[in-house]
This record gives sequence, structure tokens and C-alpha cells, in this order.
Amino acid sequence: MLLRPNPASGVPIYLQLMEQVKHAIETGALRAGEQLPGIRPLAEELVINANTVAKAYRELEHEGVIELRHGAGAFVSANSRPKKATEKLRAGQTVVSDAVRKLRERGVTDDEIRRLFEAELAGVVKTGEPRG
Amino acid sequence: MLWYKSWRDTRWRFFVALGVLTLSGTGVVLIYPRVLALVPLVPSSDAGGELGQRIREIAQLSREFRGYIWAQWFRQNVRQEWTVVSALLGTGGLVAQGSTGALFTLSLPVSRNQLVAVRAAAGLAELLIVALTVALLLPIVAPVVGQRYAVTDAVAHALCMFAAGAVFFSLACLLSTSFDDPWRPLLIAVLAAAVLGACETVFRGLQPYSVFAVMSGDVYFRTGHLPWIGILASAGVSAALLFVATVNLARRDF
Amino acid sequence: MADAHAVETVDLHKRYEGGSDALRGLTLHVPAGSIFGFLGRNGAGKTTTIKILLGMVRPSAGRATVFGLAADDPAASVEIRRRTAFVSDEKDLYGGMTVAEMIRFTAGFFPRWRDDLEQRYLRTFELPPDRKVKALSRGMRTKLALLLSLSRGAELLVLDEPTAGLDPAMTEEVLQALVGHAAREGMTIFFSSHQIAEVEQIADAVAIIDRGRTVVSGALDDLRENFRRVQLVFDGEAPAAAFEAPGITRVRRSGRVLTVLSTAGAEPILDRARALHAVSMDVVPVTLKEIFLESVTMEE
Repeated sequence: MLLRPNPASGVPIYLQLMEQVKHAIETGALRAGEQLPGIRPLAEELVINANTVAKAYRELEHEGVIELRHGAGAFVSANSRPKKATEKLRAGQTVVSDAVRKLRERGVTDDEIRRLFEAELAGVVKTGEPRG
Repeated sequence: MLWYKSWRDTRWRFFVALGVLTLSGTGVVLIYPRVLALVPLVPSSDAGGELGQRIREIAQLSREFRGYIWAQWFRQNVRQEWTVVSALLGTGGLVAQGSTGALFTLSLPVSRNQLVAVRAAAGLAELLIVALTVALLLPIVAPVVGQRYAVTDAVAHALCMFAAGAVFFSLACLLSTSFDDPWRPLLIAVLAAAVLGACETVFRGLQPYSVFAVMSGDVYFRTGHLPWIGILASAGVSAALLFVATVNLARRDF
Repeated sequence: MADAHAVETVDLHKRYEGGSDALRGLTLHVPAGSIFGFLGRNGAGKTTTIKILLGMVRPSAGRATVFGLAADDPAASVEIRRRTAFVSDEKDLYGGMTVAEMIRFTAGFFPRWRDDLEQRYLRTFELPPDRKVKALSRGMRTKLALLLSLSRGAELLVLDEPTAGLDPAMTEEVLQALVGHAAREGMTIFFSSHQIAEVEQIADAVAIIDRGRTVVSGALDDLRENFRRVQLVFDGEAPAAAFEAPGITRVRRSGRVLTVLSTAGAEPILDRARALHAVSMDVVPVTLKEIFLESVTMEE
């Protein structure tokens, strides 16, 4: 169910994994209350470091997407916060596609668009707003 | 475990040495009747110089089987063949010869001293077995030509051979801690033997003290007593060479 | 836990007879229980470092410790090797022995040999017990070397280019075995590699070495989050004065363009660049491959 992360994409593997879990919840592949694969078996299946999986799970728990029950494993949260996160992303997606469309209309290439976003994000770090 | 590896590394050499010396020794025994037949033909008073004196001496000794064996086998054949066999069994340590698992052996939880010690002990055991086997075949084959050879004589000579052979064995061991290929240690050890032999021929006064005298069991043949000084000296030299081998291996980078 | 670090080297030097300096002050810290990737060009000193850790080579200066024990002390080194497994880049094994014989031989040295792991890997690697080692393909030899390493109950596994010369399928098998084993047994894995992709895939932390020294080291996630390449364009010639800001590791000038590599994010660079009136500022995240290439090429 979970796809192999791409180690060379520049995006940390644990973030890719988090995105995949959230996407799986969004699409219904994972439902509220369902158990996620164990850290070690998942690490072995995806051939990535177990610590990376652990980190992804910890961050997902921090965001309220999943619950880690000691001794039992990781389970999808029953509450609705994941949906809020998804909605937030959906709204964000609209903003981004708008901006990209406008930039393309001005003749900005995709690579340049990417660089503009990166520069802007680097600037966001400066103001102290938490990322992610 | 290391003993097993040491055996595996040297077993073909062991069998070849055993085979060659057995054939050689058996041959020497089997031609005795022919030699005996030729003895009367050697003139008793001939001024042939050095070589003539030698031939007369051998002829004289050969009237007796025991003397023949000493003169022909122990003093002549053994001197050449045994030196090479001893060096051959000593060549090639556990981490020599580059890519046949040297790094693997070195990654095992054994000290470098252990590597030399096990290899030396296993090799010396092989050396002793070959010496004893080859010597003991004399009493066994002698009856075939209607002669007798004492077992005590055989064992005594085997001991002398072993002590002297250990010197060349240890030299080859030492050279193997510096050279990874199997040939150079062997060649250098044999070369050293040749040089020693040449020195002996030139400086005849050194002969009683040479390792070859121990090897052929001179003193034992003439007096019936083992050459303890010679044996101990050989053992001492062997031990010293093996000690240097351990030091050499310990300081080496792989 | 006796040591936070399974392996540590401090200012390690090695000069070989003949004068070549393999290591010129290498410092490394490998956290226990981590998967640690060791990257460097050919001849950078990776194999020399590994050999020093295992007592095969003695350092000229500096300190190397494994489990807190001195690697250059012969007695301590034997103890280290009791708890460490090593796979050389040549997958050096005894050609004349069969697979089964090699296993029995190796098991004899380790009282904590794990028969269950031996059986498991014999099965998953599909190794033919009666075939002689010299008749095995490179991939099979690698798997056998791995089996011998993983079954001995070691706390540390040191590998020199474990997937060199292997096809992608076999590479994945090897990585999977390593990842699975590390997760289950909690062992530290220290491996050198040229394959940056595989290091990125499974390592917790990395060190990049060049010409005998460590040039980059740290947790992989930290490196990914903090390494940035910033390209600045100026109106006239790029500033000749040293471009300084915290975290800069490389600065390259090419006419009006200044390329800066930073380990502390882009923000300090951008501040400085604005002060110098840069005309354009581009920030890109840097992949491990780019970090590697940047770190081991000459600074202009």
C-alpha cells in the first residue's frame, strides 16, 4: 500500500512517508481506528531506516493524525483533525495552482517558479513561523 | 578452527612431500643389492684424490646395510630433499597469498601471534610426521632386499632430521610473514641452504657444527648417541626465527 | 549503555611507507545503533579508516576507538573483533571451502553464533551449501559474507562497499537484509559506499571524507534540512572580499555570479547578500549527491 519513498528527491524521507499516510487516510485506504504497519516490518518492506519510519510516525502523532499505543502499535486517529489538515492542504493547493498559472502566463518557467518558492520559504524561516 | 585452515592450506604439500620422500627412500633401499654387487669392483688402493677418497669411503660403508643407508640416504639424498621439503611445509602463512581470505582471517577474533603460533605448530607436526614416516619405512622395506634396519636407528635419525628441518621450516615461516607470494620464501630458504652448504664445502672445519651434520645424524651414526647439542642449537635457532616471524607479522599493515 | 558512540576516531593520521598520506586528521563519531554511511572518492581514505578500526593497519597518529576500546592495541583489537563483523570490498573468503564449511569454520570463533539467523539467511539468500566459494558469483559471495557477519551476534557491522558490482535487484536484497537486521537486533552498521542513492535510502547519519579528512558529517535529516545552495548575481564583479556568514562551507566566484553552499540554511546568506546589493538570489535544497560533489571538489 505504501510506496517506496524517493531518497534523491530532496524531500526528507520521513516527510514523504507522512504525506503518503495522510494521502492514504484522505483516499480512504486507511480508515479511522485502523492499524498502520509496524515500524520494523514497514522499514524492511520499504528498505528504509527504521528510525526514519519511527520519526514519521512520531510527527504524525504530534499532528494528531495517528495514535501510538504503547505495545500495540500505530493506529489512525478517530477524530477529525486529519480532515482539517486535508482541507487546509486542499485550499492551499488552490492557491498554489492559481499562482503557478499566473506565473506561467507571465512566461516564468517551471524551474524558475520552483526557485521562487524556495527563496520565499527560506524567508519564512526568518520570521520564525513554524514550518509544515 | 585455525588448525583446520592451516591443515587445508598445506595438505597437498604434505602428501606430495610424503610421496616423494617415500619413493626416494624406497628406491635407495631397493637398489642396495646392486650397490653391494658393485662394491668389490672399487679398487682398494687408488690415489683418486678427494672424489676417489669419497667413493672408497662410501664403498667401504656400503658393505654394511646400516652404513649404506647412512652414507647414501641420510647424508646425501636427505640433505637435499629434506631441506626443500622443510621449507616447502613452512611457506605460506595463514595471511599470506593476498586474496585467499587474508582480510577475512584478520577480521576474526584471533591475535597475530596466534596466527603464527598455530601455523608453526601445525606445520611442525606435519614435518615430524613426514620425518617419522619416511624413517620408519626403512625397517619396513629393508626385509624386501634381505636386510634389517633397527627401529631405534630410524627414530633417532627421524629426530635429527626433524630438528634440522625445523630450522629451514622456521626460516620459510619468517619469510612468509614478509612476502605474500608462495615462491619467494621457498626460493630464498633453499638459496640460504645452498649458501650454507657451499660455506661448508669451502670451510671444512665448520662441518661438524653445521645444520646438515645434525640433519644426517652424523654423530648418532658414529657413536650411537644423539647429537644433543646440535639438536638443541637447531631448536634454539628455529625458536628465534619463529619469534622474529611473530614480531614481523605483528607490525605489518595489511 | 557504556558508550553513546560505537566508533570514534579523533584526528586520525596514517602515512604509509613510501610517503603517501592516506589520512590527515580524520575525526568521526558513529552513534551506537545507527546506520552510518561513509562516503568519499576513491583514495579518500575510507578503506584505510576501516582497516584501522579492525586492527589491520596501525595509525601513524591520533586515536581510534570501537566500543570505547583502543583499535591499535592488539589485545583490545581481538576483543573488538569478537563483537564486530567485517565485510571487505573484495568479499574476501576462502575459495577452497564450500559454503557449509565456511559457515562451520566461522561459527567456531563465535560462542554467540545465532543458528536461527544462519538458517534464516541461508533460506532468504538461497545459498547452495555444497558449492565452493570460488565458484560463487560476486552477488552470492556478498550474500555469504553477509550471512557470516549477521549470524555471529555482533554489535557492529563494518562494510566496505557492500553493494559494489551488484545488480539493482541484489542491491535491494542486501539493503533490505541490513535494514531488517538493524531494526531487529539493534546493531550499529558502518558502511562505506560510492552509491549515494543507497546511503540516502538507509542511513541515519553520514560522513563525507576527502583527502584523508572529514568534510561533512551529521544526521542525514539535518543535512537535508540545512544544506542549501544559494546563487547570487551581482551588478558588477562578485565581491572579492571573503563572503562570510555562519555555516558557509564553499564559495565559488565566476564573474558576476557567486555560488555559496551553506550548512545552516539560506537565511544568513540572503541577509548578507542583501547588504551587498545582490541583484538576484536563488535558493535550492541540495541532494546528498550534490553535497558530496560540492564537498570533494576544489574550492576556487
